[in-house]
Amino acid sequence: MAMSEAVLRQYLAVGAILFAIGLIGFMTRRNLIVLFLSTEVMFQGVAVNFIAFGRYHGSLEGQAFVIFLLVIAAAEAALALGLIVQLFRRRHTLDAESWRELKG
Amino acid sequence: MLAVFPTFAGAPTLAAGAIPPVLVLAMCVVAGVGTVLVLPGRHERSVRKIGGGALLCVFLIFAALLIRQGAMKGAGQVYFWLFAAIAILSAVRVISHDKPVYSALYFLLTVVATAGLFVLLWAEFMAAALVLIYAGAIVATYVFVIMLAQQTGNAGRATEGGDYDRISREPIAACAVGFTLMGLILFVIFDMVSFVGPTKLAKGGEAQGTAQRLGEHLFTSQVVSLEMAAVILAMAVVGAVVIAGRKVAEPAPAREATGDVRDVDPKQVPVYGTDERRTKAYPEK
Repeated sequence: MAMSEAVLRQYLAVGAILFAIGLIGFMTRRNLIVLFLSTEVMFQGVAVNFIAFGRYHGSLEGQAFVIFLLVIAAAEAALALGLIVQLFRRRHTLDAESWRELKG
Repeated sequence: MLAVFPTFAGAPTLAAGAIPPVLVLAMCVVAGVGTVLVLPGRHERSVRKIGGGALLCVFLIFAALLIRQGAMKGAGQVYFWLFAAIAILSAVRVISHDKPVYSALYFLLTVVATAGLFVLLWAEFMAAALVLIYAGAIVATYVFVIMLAQQTGNAGRATEGGDYDRISREPIAACAVGFTLMGLILFVIFDMVSFVGPTKLAKGGEAQGTAQRLGEHLFTSQVVSLEMAAVILAMAVVGAVVIAGRKVAEPAPAREATGDVRDVDPKQVPVYGTDERRTKAYPEK
C-alpha cells in the first residue's frame, strides 16, 4: 500500500510547521534551557520529514537517518546542559542576555 | 489568484492536495501576528489569549482546507489530525510558556504526539525509541537542570533578575523571519513540487517498519555509521562530565545580586514584619 502524494504533503507540512515554531522560539526566548528545548522541537520537525519520505519511498533510509538524528540530539542535550550548568554557576542566571559581551 | 505566483512549470492546474499560495501567505501572516501576541511580553494575559485563539483558528482553517482537498481516506487520517494538532499546539506552548518547567512538559507532549505520527508511518521502532530517548532521558535531564537552576536562581519571581522568562527578545522580527521561512516551505510543498514518484516497495515492504528489518538494514549497509554514532555518543558523555564537573570561582557581585545572606551582618537584618533592627536578639556586650 503505497502512500499518496497528498498524504505526504500533510506530513511535510507538519514537519515544516514544527521547524518554524522551534526557530521562532530559539530567536525569541531568553532562557538558555528553553532555547535548547526549541532546538529539540526543530529536531522533531526534521524527524517527521525523514520518516514521511522514507515511508513514501518505501525505504528504510529515513528511519536509519532518524536514529542518527536521535544520537546527535542526545549528545547535543548532554553537552548543552553541561555548558548551561557551568554558565549558571558563573552568573547565577539563565538569561542569555547576561552573556551579551560574547558577541563579536 | 494563482497568477500572482506563477509556478515553475507554468501549469495552471494545481497538483493533488495543493493549496493556493495566496491563502498560505495570508495564513502565515495571521499566524505570525498571533505568535507575536502569544509570546511572553509586556502585554496583558487577555491579549496573549487572543493571540492563542488566532493561532488555533489558523490551524483549524488549514486543516479544513486540507480535508477539503480530499486527501483523507480511511480512519488513519483521524489519528493523523489528532496527533498533528497535539504536536503543533503543544510546540507553540513550549515556546510561549512563562515557566521553563511547563515548557519541558509541553515538549514531552510534542514528543509523544510525534511518536504517534511515527506509528502511523509504520515506524514503530522509531516511535518506541523516540519515547524512550526523548521522554525518558532527554526531558528528564532538562527537568533536572531546570530544578537545579530554579533552586537558587530567582527565575520564578518577577524581580529584576528574574523577568527574562517573561519578556521575549525581538518577537516581531523573529516571527517575521520564522513565518517567512514557514510560508516558503509550505508554498514549495503545496504548490511547486511534484515529488519523485513512490518507488516500488522492496520485497516485504509492507512490513518495513518492523524492528527486525530496520536492524538488518542498519547492521548491513550502515554498520560504519552506526559505530561512529556510538563513538560520538561516548565522546559527548565524557565531554559533558568533564565540562559540568569543573569548579568555577564564584563572582562576588553575583552573590550580592542573589541576596545571599551569608555576607550580611545579622544585626542589621530587620525583625520580620517591622523595621526594627535585630539589636535585641544580639545584645552588645
